[in-house]
Amino acid sequence: MLELAIGIILGSCALGAGIAMIAGIGPGIGEGNAVAKACEAIGRQPESKGNVTTTMLMGCAVAETTGLYALVIAILLIFVAPGRLVNILMETIG
Amino acid sequence: MSKIDGTVIKETKYITVWVIILSVIMEAVFLIIGMWDYKVLLGNIWGAGIAVLNFLLMGITVQKAVMKDEKDAATTMKFSQTMRNAMLLIGAVLGIVLPFFNGAAAIIPFFFPRIAIAFIPLRERNASKREVKNDGE
Repeated sequence: MLELAIGIILGSCALGAGIAMIAGIGPGIGEGNAVAKACEAIGRQPESKGNVTTTMLMGCAVAETTGLYALVIAILLIFVAPGRLVNILMETIG
Repeated sequence: MSKIDGTVIKETKYITVWVIILSVIMEAVFLIIGMWDYKVLLGNIWGAGIAVLNFLLMGITVQKAVMKDEKDAATTMKFSQTMRNAMLLIGAVLGIVLPFFNGAAAIIPFFFPRIAIAFIPLRERNASKREVKNDGE
């Protein structure tokens, strides 16, 4: 029974980490769209290349933070959560 | 190897300066709460290095992508983001697993570039003030 409980904890943590990483798809799509629009803007006004690049660079960095949050949550779910949850289980059982 | 654009270098320098400032603050916090040891310093250097490298690689990709047509640019950016995410994942896992790094100190610097970007309006305001002053003279 204990093995089953530990298995459920480990499986749930792995599943949670996988689901969290779905958020990593968003920044990729967002950055891709931003750069595509920037290309269009630079094509129309080549003289504004510097300004467009700066703004886009910062925008991409902001968009990427969402993916970073997901990454950190996934890492915590894989490396930190299982140990803590198994400890809580052990303490509860006694 | 193609030359790195001046804008990318300028912004990377700005981010690097802020990452160093925030790293010092983080070290001070670890010192104050009594959790500081050499592992915190090594973890901080590791995490900060990866964060700055990630920003630089993103800048280089953006620089290359704006030269391409719209569809290719989007694909290049998506591919780059996936690769950089993999790099961050490996960096974070090594930061946690390796015994000579403090896990928290290795991961927290990943968020420093975002904090640095939050201070950009301050830089813009100072720059516009300087311009007004120069125009006045």
